[in-house]
Amino acid sequence: MDPASLGYLGAGLGAGLVALGAGLGIGRLAASALEGAARQPEASGDLRTTMIIAAALIEGVALFGLVICIILATA
Amino acid sequence: MFLVPRLRTLPAFLLSLFAVVLLAGPVSAQGHEDAQDVVHEEELDALHHSADGFYLDFTPGPKVQLPRIFVVRGEDGGLGFKFFGSTTAAVESGEFVAGAAHGEDPEAHGAPDDHGEAASTESAEAHADPLEAGIVPAHGEIVADLSFTRHTIFMMLAALMLLIIFLPLGAKYRKGIGRTSAPKGRLQNAMEALVIYVREEIAKPTMGDKYAKYMPYLLSAFFFILFGNLLGLFPFGATMTSNIAVTAVLAGFTFVVTQFAGTKDYWGHIFNPPGVPFLVKFIMVPIEFLGIFTKPFALAIRLFANMTAGHLVILSLIGLIFSFGQIFGDAVGWGTSLAAVPMTVFVYCLELLIAFIQAYVFTILSALFIGMAAAEHEHHGHDDHHDQTAHEKAVQVSSGMSTDGNGQIYHEPEKTVGTEAVLALAPA
Repeated sequence: MDPASLGYLGAGLGAGLVALGAGLGIGRLAASALEGAARQPEASGDLRTTMIIAAALIEGVALFGLVICIILATA
Repeated sequence: MFLVPRLRTLPAFLLSLFAVVLLAGPVSAQGHEDAQDVVHEEELDALHHSADGFYLDFTPGPKVQLPRIFVVRGEDGGLGFKFFGSTTAAVESGEFVAGAAHGEDPEAHGAPDDHGEAASTESAEAHADPLEAGIVPAHGEIVADLSFTRHTIFMMLAALMLLIIFLPLGAKYRKGIGRTSAPKGRLQNAMEALVIYVREEIAKPTMGDKYAKYMPYLLSAFFFILFGNLLGLFPFGATMTSNIAVTAVLAGFTFVVTQFAGTKDYWGHIFNPPGVPFLVKFIMVPIEFLGIFTKPFALAIRLFANMTAGHLVILSLIGLIFSFGQIFGDAVGWGTSLAAVPMTVFVYCLELLIAFIQAYVFTILSALFIGMAAAEHEHHGHDDHHDQTAHEKAVQVSSGMSTDGNGQIYHEPEKTVGTEAVLALAPA
């Protein structure tokens, strides 16, 4: 099999896994934040800020994975 | 209210994923066939559309070419400036020839392993359109390409809009309108709301007392990104924030501001983490050091990926019509458009939302990084005594009592009561 096409395969699979992981992570985060906000509406402002920060960190890790996939696909 | 759009997003997302898959198949297959066919059908290249270019695309109107500026090293080794009104002019002058300057998409015309052949066919094709393939000097080499591109133009447009909108507004505040009286006019009211939002919701919670010093940067970043994002949603527009170079420079600004905001504590936490066993420091310090760079890096990639992805989804949905039309016949293509066009409108509205969200996220993360660097950790010990659990606070609030942080109890009648407090009050 052509190594280049294997690279594409790896990049595609990797991108999918990255999306899966980040989606699960941010989904759980959002669910918990929503629950927290429903429980204590007066804390929703703080919760939103903290949620966005945590989501950004999760997203950051996902983006690193994505960058590796892009490098795989273009190299 | 929140749930309804979320539920709708899922099918849109699934469909767009579907669209990407479907589009990718036929288009790449078609590309290979085209290489053999003499007749070139017009391809819808989604990636190309969102990429940068040396012209403004007013399709179905004309393509307006942008000036090209080069720093060229001649064959004698001397540096020289070259200025041309357009790409066509550069080629017509005879000093430049069309050719793959930076091999934009070699795999579109051939497999990546037969680069030699691909390059030759590409340059042969490129003679037809130097705009797409790029140009190289007939003699010597390009040292720096300072040409205007679509994204540069839109970047300048966004900056110009910022100046036009905010300089007069600033003058208004200097005169006292808005400070001593209510803001006048729609523009001032609209912009003041956004500025105050940035101040109250982004700067103050993340940076505490030091927010005022960094407000100019945060506001500039917020509005520049917002305008850039929104300009890309106009017809014939280009999204300058979907260019990795633009987002990287913006993140670079955050990086620089963060380092200059850094206090002794900030550097201390990186190079000598307090309260960590000596051997663990060997692991912590490199990680912390890398963390300085990964934060702005993620900032750049995030904005770039979000803005690019939105446009690709729209183009994929539109492309779905043509893919289906080509595979199953024109009638199916027309039928698909009935579903694809409303979906595109929906994604477009989503993009409008994302334009604001990404400007907000970039600003709040910048503020957070700067705030973390600027924070002084001197009050480690003395905030112990107002360390109440949320439950204790809730109980006190629900009984109309609260402490003001110094242990003094005062009456506080109006406050939303949390569920916990209600439960705590309920008779067992």
